[in-house]
Amino acid sequence: MSPDQSGMPAAPLDGNAAAGLLREVFVFDATSATVTCGGCGATAHVGSARLYGGSMGAVLRCAGCDTAVLRVVRTPMGLWLDMQGARSLKIGSEATA
Amino acid sequence: MSVPGWPSHRPGQHLDVRLTAEDGYQAQRSYSIASAPEAPLLAITVERIDDGEVSPYLAGEVRVGDRFEVRGPIGGYFVWTAALGGPLFLIAGGSGIAPLMAMLRHRAAAGSHAPALLVYSSRTFADIIYREELNRLAAASDGPRVVHTLTRQQPAGWTGATRRIDRDMLAETGIAASARPRIFVCGPTSLVEQTTPSLLALGHAASLIKTERFGPTGGLR
Repeated sequence: MSPDQSGMPAAPLDGNAAAGLLREVFVFDATSATVTCGGCGATAHVGSARLYGGSMGAVLRCAGCDTAVLRVVRTPMGLWLDMQGARSLKIGSEATA
Repeated sequence: MSVPGWPSHRPGQHLDVRLTAEDGYQAQRSYSIASAPEAPLLAITVERIDDGEVSPYLAGEVRVGDRFEVRGPIGGYFVWTAALGGPLFLIAGGSGIAPLMAMLRHRAAAGSHAPALLVYSSRTFADIIYREELNRLAAASDGPRVVHTLTRQQPAGWTGATRRIDRDMLAETGIAASARPRIFVCGPTSLVEQTTPSLLALGHAASLIKTERFGPTGGLR
């Protein structure tokens, strides 16, 4: 998946690449969940969001309007989850559309 | 890799490899699983990046008997199992073949009859990963159709495609949108960015297209 890396944010990947990190936050596979963007109202699998990653964590942005729907930041105090840009997260049983 | 206690994975999932140096420094990377769930050993595909921190070790120095930490299986989005049915339309660039290989191996091991097509872009003939195994899979009855394109250099007598995967190639070789294939695209960002709009233009539903880009990102985990 991701070859070697410098620790610097680069071109975005797909949200599914954040599955490992998200597993530290959610008890379910968050990349299969459906997120509704708080900016434009579009609905998409978390795995299809645009992922901007760095050694500090991950920012998932709506592929339609670029709103940051989910941010996970790793700090010395613990993991920080910010979902201000998401209207809802639907955890369904369907792994595929 | 032999991973004691490994819960079975689904084709398309990945795992994290964590290496710890003697001084405690840790490096973690994520790799797609290339083996089918039915295989006795777990396989990943590592592309060596010469100035990389991890891949030169994994691709050159690891010996049988070495041990390291893995975490997984991870991800449930970019996943195909035989139970989902087909048609299965796979598009790969370079080492992006890895998760798609897990799908094709699983398809064969599970005895799936779902029609399957792989369109695979490599730079040169020598760069085609899993070339012989792909030939074997394709030659089997009910095997997948495999279409190669070589974008940088072609061997003498090459009759296949020589350009990057584009809309015309997908239209000529691909599975028609009316068949509603499940589409998985894995490769460098440029391949995914060129391919996805072409698939949409050909009438494929966005909900059936799943993409996985790889490229230089920060140590996500």
